[in-house]
Amino acid sequence: MSVLAVVAGHELLASRRLRSPRVLMSMFVAMVAAASFIGWLTQRTVSGVYRQVLADGLTAQPDPFASVAPMYFARNTVIYVVMIGTLMAAVLGVQSALRDRRAGTADLVLTRPPGVRVVLAGRLSGLAVLLAGVVGASTLASWIAISLVVGAPVSVADSFRLVAWGGVTWVLLVGFAALGMWAGLHVRRETSALVAPVVAWAVIAFVIPQLGTAARPVSLLNPVATPPQTTGVFHMLSYLTGPASITEHFKTLSTAILEGPAWGLPVGSLAVVLVFAAVMVGAVLLTPAARLRGASDD
Amino acid sequence: MTPPAISTHGLTHTYGRTFALRPLDLEVEAGEIFGLLGHNGAGKTTTVGLLTTLLRPTSGRSTVAGYDVVGQAPQVRSRIGYLPENVQFYNDLTLVENLRFFARLSGLREPDRRITEVLAFLDFEGHDRQRLGTFSKGMRQRVGIAQAILHRPEVLFLDEPTSGLDPEGVRTLRQIVVRINAELGTTVFMNTHLLSEATRTCTSIGILRDGELVRHGSLAAILGAYPTEQALEEAYFETAGSPA
Repeated sequence: MSVLAVVAGHELLASRRLRSPRVLMSMFVAMVAAASFIGWLTQRTVSGVYRQVLADGLTAQPDPFASVAPMYFARNTVIYVVMIGTLMAAVLGVQSALRDRRAGTADLVLTRPPGVRVVLAGRLSGLAVLLAGVVGASTLASWIAISLVVGAPVSVADSFRLVAWGGVTWVLLVGFAALGMWAGLHVRRETSALVAPVVAWAVIAFVIPQLGTAARPVSLLNPVATPPQTTGVFHMLSYLTGPASITEHFKTLSTAILEGPAWGLPVGSLAVVLVFAAVMVGAVLLTPAARLRGASDD
Repeated sequence: MTPPAISTHGLTHTYGRTFALRPLDLEVEAGEIFGLLGHNGAGKTTTVGLLTTLLRPTSGRSTVAGYDVVGQAPQVRSRIGYLPENVQFYNDLTLVENLRFFARLSGLREPDRRITEVLAFLDFEGHDRQRLGTFSKGMRQRVGIAQAILHRPEVLFLDEPTSGLDPEGVRTLRQIVVRINAELGTTVFMNTHLLSEATRTCTSIGILRDGELVRHGSLAAILGAYPTEQALEEAYFETAGSPA
């Protein structure tokens, strides 16, 4: 068994024993499963109203939900990734980084043959495997829920879409887990280390996108990315902050993957998500050994 | 001639402008139990930190088990065991889960058999499935020794191993250290500020004062000059100075 696998296995074992990440993971999978049913309930309500309006002779328009693609019901899942999934990943990351500092076990680890980079890479690998499990479970939950809603198994093509979207989601979550780890390694006080990635998450998911979207915070709760302003100062702000609006790029990418080839794959958005994850992973791997040894001040 | 287990030449370490360790020249022969004595803040833990690769020296060089501590750190780490002061573990994991992790990090392919052997050697069986969070200080110290000798190290570093233990725990730990040295042939480097521990356990000692090695020699030679423990205590305060 390689050292990387040893540390990754230890990370999986230790994370499984922690209550807060377990609760967040369960909540995430449950919300993803519920998302499709929420979509289905919406469809049933709107269709019910439509049938009533049609029966009353008030419209001759076709049922707005009649031609909805099955993947439409996965749309709400995107927002749960941004709202709960990224937060869960950051919490897992910070807990992983704090484990040795809190337990005072860093010296036992660092006096073993593997260097600090291998240890950190192993911890990240463990988190990546854990997140792959969570994303896999939530993708499966989505597949089952959509199959139940539409009354038939999801087609092979749409199943591929779900899997591809799961892959992009995993990359985003690994980036946030690395962000949490970085905070856990570099912030001196334990409480501050726990708060730091949450603040970073709020800035990435809400503050930066708002700067380029004429400050419409509610629109950020939509699963579809908010179009940037094309005039005035917000246009300039959008131009400047666009690359940092990581979660908006994720939404754009998700819509493209889940809802059809007409959109084409937004390469720029894919690059932003990939670069974010790569930068955060790199920042963790470049952490000096002394950071692991620093006991938390709390 | 067997090379020394530990050798340092002009080894120093500074924290900012403060010298934690002044140029240290020291040799510890293989098979010895070496005790490094000194007051709190004398530089004992810094010395162990440098020799276990946890700290980088400001200047000078050192070898452990024949390998350069800076240039061949992985080789050094695979040949040493380390018990820090107030050793801690992953409290949510069981004894075996903790030891299995450290054994695998040390490169043991089949750790479980070795864990059983070591726990039997330490007379610490029957706690395998217990979580470390439920262990007393004395039990943790034994687990600390277990993790340090799992991979059969050539040199074992112990930083204040009896700190916080009750008299029974101190005696047990002393017996374990002597057995490790005698039965496994492991060289032991032990930090302590307890003279009684040094006289009962060590074969040679060094005394650090403000980061400087002020006395170094075999215990027999030092006891020859100071035949009683009381006399040794006087010698200690004479060379190490009174605590601040």
